[in-house]
Amino acid sequence: MDEKLITLNNLKIFAEELLKANYTLILQDKQGIRWEKISNSDELHISSKLKPTKASFKEFVFSKTEPIFYFNNKNDGVELIDSNLSAEKMVFFGSKPCDAKSINIMSKVFNWDYKDNFFNTKAENSIVIGMLCEYRDEFCFCTSVNLSPVSSDGSDLFLIPTDENNFAIRIVTEKGREFIQPFLKLFAEGNPETTDQIFKKINLPEKGFESEVIRSWIGNNFEHKYFERAGEICLGCGQCAFVCPVCHCFDIVDEECGYSCGRRMKNWDACQFSLFTLHGSGHNPRHNQTQRYRQRISHKFKYYVDKFDEILCTGCGRCSRGCPVGIDIGQIAKEVHSLAANKV
Amino acid sequence: MNELREKAKELLLNNTVKLIIGYANGNGHNRTYPFIARNAADANRLVFNEYCVNNLAVYLTRKEFKGKGIIGIVAKGCDVKAIIQLIQENQINKDEVYIIGMNCNGAVNQLDNSFEKTTLAQKCINCTVRTPALYHALIGTTKDIEEPADTLGEKIKEVEKLNADSRWDFWEAQFEKCIKCYACRQVCPLCYCEQCIVDKTVPRWIESSAHTRGNFSWNIIRAFHLSGRCIGCGECERVCPMDIPLSMLNRKMSIIAKKEFDYSAGVSLDSPTLVGTYNMKDRQDFIK
Amino acid sequence: MNIYKPELMVIKNIIDETKDTRTFKLQFKDEEIAKSFSFKAGQFGEYSLFGEGESTFCIASSPTRSGYIECSFKKVGKVTSALAKLDVGDVIGFRGPYGNYFPIEEMKGKNVLFIAGGIGLAPVRCVIWNVLDLRKDFKAVTIVYGARSVEDLIYKKELDEWQSMPDVKTFVTVDPGGQSNDWKGEVGFVPAIVEKAVQQSENTIAIVCGPPIMIKFTIPVLTKLGFAEENIITTLENRMKCGLGKCGRCNVGNVYVCKDGPVFTYQQLKTLPAEY
Ligand SMILES: Cc1cc2nc3c(=O)[nH]c(=O)nc-3n(C[C@H](O)[C@H](O)[C@H](O)COP(=O)(O)OP(=O)(O)OC[C@H]3O[C@@H](n4cnc5c(N)ncnc54)[C@H](O)[C@@H]3O)c2cc1C
Ligand code: SF4
Ligand code: SF4
Ligand code: SF4
Ligand code: SF4
Ligand code: SF4
Ligand code: FES
Repeated sequence: MDEKLITLNNLKIFAEELLKANYTLILQDKQGIRWEKISNSDELHISSKLKPTKASFKEFVFSKTEPIFYFNNKNDGVELIDSNLSAEKMVFFGSKPCDAKSINIMSKVFNWDYKDNFFNTKAENSIVIGMLCEYRDEFCFCTSVNLSPVSSDGSDLFLIPTDENNFAIRIVTEKGREFIQPFLKLFAEGNPETTDQIFKKINLPEKGFESEVIRSWIGNNFEHKYFERAGEICLGCGQCAFVCPVCHCFDIVDEECGYSCGRRMKNWDACQFSLFTLHGSGHNPRHNQTQRYRQRISHKFKYYVDKFDEILCTGCGRCSRGCPVGIDIGQIAKEVHSLAANKV
Repeated sequence: MNELREKAKELLLNNTVKLIIGYANGNGHNRTYPFIARNAADANRLVFNEYCVNNLAVYLTRKEFKGKGIIGIVAKGCDVKAIIQLIQENQINKDEVYIIGMNCNGAVNQLDNSFEKTTLAQKCINCTVRTPALYHALIGTTKDIEEPADTLGEKIKEVEKLNADSRWDFWEAQFEKCIKCYACRQVCPLCYCEQCIVDKTVPRWIESSAHTRGNFSWNIIRAFHLSGRCIGCGECERVCPMDIPLSMLNRKMSIIAKKEFDYSAGVSLDSPTLVGTYNMKDRQDFIK
Repeated sequence: MNIYKPELMVIKNIIDETKDTRTFKLQFKDEEIAKSFSFKAGQFGEYSLFGEGESTFCIASSPTRSGYIECSFKKVGKVTSALAKLDVGDVIGFRGPYGNYFPIEEMKGKNVLFIAGGIGLAPVRCVIWNVLDLRKDFKAVTIVYGARSVEDLIYKKELDEWQSMPDVKTFVTVDPGGQSNDWKGEVGFVPAIVEKAVQQSENTIAIVCGPPIMIKFTIPVLTKLGFAEENIITTLENRMKCGLGKCGRCNVGNVYVCKDGPVFTYQQLKTLPAEY
């Protein structure tokens, strides 16, 4: 593996040059709410100790709302006008491993058979500079979903702080290598063995459950009463899905944008809303919140794994930190694991 | 705590109530979450402390509980305001709820599901209902607490000082962030409509897209629909993942309701609802 | 390629089937597309009116009849109400064909039993014509169709046509109380008529589409007759948006109904969570 070294100072110059080269730099904001574009390298605010923002950066690759085409209702018929695909070159700077992996995970659903070019264009135009993570709280569980605070899976480049003012940077993908090429003068040669030593010293969140156990338990216990525990208090909002780095459900709706013209929009949606599955006839296949909560857990830990061979969760803990009624998905997975172990 | 658990056990065992909506300890320290107690063993898990921020009245109108017999609820004074308002608006039957009122010494400020131990929640500042206005059993005692300054009131005054354009800019920057997760609506005890106006599609009143235009209509219409009804529990602002200061809007509306109509929501079972009554003395001059 | 952008189609003919159900005959505006377009029985499309939105309907015409497609829809909400106001010559959007299809090839050389209720006849009608247009490839053909009342029966002209065919056994029924004074067909719920009309299951494929409640009571009748679970075929109508396996709305267990369905055998259905 190729590895370089860079000083904090040079990292700022690197950011400056990227801005000059027309890259959009996107970072965790200072309030800890969401990811923001910066216009000046002085705003480069990265640290391995930051708490994950309330919302992930997915909104930059999978917009909360975006036009998929425009239409003009004219006297002699309808005219459809394509919506421009964004050509913006984005760099997610200092992403935690639990965010970095998200693009690859969502890419599976957006590319099986039909290809969603709204997502793909943005994903292709993105560079993920991941960073080793030293934040921990009781909501984090990346190690239970095959990730870890030192995982570079999903990153194109991976930053490792070696001391206050110095970083090592791993070149993880070919895309990362090409991206960094023009700026190599800012970097010195590094030694992967030294950073391997750093990795060894990082304390990892304790592994709370085996995802495979959860998957097979769900497969056999679909009607289990356990789901009611969360289902009866869950309020059915979209918080958990919308802050999640990998939830990807959406709605398609038309709206006006002027006299006789309009646009068709692709908007975030979530399986926790009661209207999500409501039929025109009034029949609703998931008519109570327990069923809807079960869908959330099952889709994440079973269906998506069965279908796409990826767990639909990076263990970032966001949905749990923000849940209005304190439903903690990591805790639920742990409890399911112990239910499975006790065969109940 | 024991007093609460004993009371809960008694109510469940002698079938006074079918179930009790209360709080239990969550994963990790310093956290509680809503918990439904159905038997004596459940009752032993009930807790009440400064981390019980949720307004559990939101569950009273839920299909799963409403009309299913007498429901017990552990309620602070502010939660009871919501219950009073719900009774006033004919959403729940006075005889189908058993209020286990809690004398409250303030809840602590919550930052997502972790807590800032040292500060009092905004809603507890200047609280006038530390002993609930309505209850069937009352538990605990109040003691003196130190109240910080009312920063919400200050914030409202700050924005009021701005000119219209700057006020617009202020709110635009806030609403732009909204992701239409509707957590504010779902957690609000007074957002009980079976079909929310934002979900009406024929015709569509509010665009479902979370762009600035759609967000303006959503956030403003929600504030309108709660004016004279919001009891100020602060739940919507607490749960908003994008940290939009929703309480500023709601508080401002209740200041107006107080000033113009001398009305405060959820205060007494005897005062009719603001939007549900017409009084000859009501001001007409806003009708142009 | 923008997978969400529809092609334009012109409404060539409109038939009012019942007071709330209409059939459109549609042709692509673009001649190239019209020529290259093909589909299989059981597939569906996303039909849209610009400014109102999209709705999912099956293609109700048979693939054996090219040059146009037909769809029948019931007015239940926003898009269907708006579509119901259109006239011949108006233009709508169409994306498709999507989803899997009925195993016509495997059905050849076998008896076919069609059972439909209400608007559920739309997808079945597509297969019926497909089979009838290749009549000699199939053995006995039986059709059982029911609706709430005489007024709710759709494709009335075709029902007469099928009834007059010597090599097709057709039973049309209405729910008790739904008959008119001059009604000459059957009276009773679909499962009861199936029990009366069908004697054997040997070498037979049953295609069942209709409201969930009808399907629920018809399946036991069929299993009692000895139908193997893999020979009972139905379609699911989970709510859909994209039709492309992206938006997540139609996800049930490990399948996306829009891609892995909408056609499922009863055997496959039993492996899914009952969320349809
Ligand atoms: C594979 C497949 C094939 C189908 N084939 C056919 C067919 O051939 N013919 C046919 O008629 N139908 C068919 N359907 C069903 C059809 O797709 C729906 O009936 C149709 O999309 C309804 O569209 P709409 O926009 O008119 O209704 P919508 O306005 O979207 O809603 C329909 C109803 O849902 C409820 N609803 C919607 N939004 C809300 C809300 N916000 N709050 C509360 N309730 C709400 C209301 O009761 C409303 O009347 C098929 C479905 C599938 C999946
Ligand atoms: S955030 Fe919590 S309350 Fe809201 S839907 Fe998710 S689990 Fe339920
Ligand atoms: S489900 Fe929750 S913990 Fe898992 S990735 Fe999504 S937000 Fe993070
Ligand atoms: S958990 Fe729900 S909202 Fe998230 S991707 Fe799965 S179905 Fe969609
Ligand atoms: S609007 Fe907000 S503060 Fe007012 S009652 Fe509802 S949740 Fe509480
Ligand atoms: S909780 Fe906040 S982000 Fe969610 S809909 Fe309400 S205002 Fe918008
Ligand atoms: S309809 Fe969108 S995934 Fe099936």
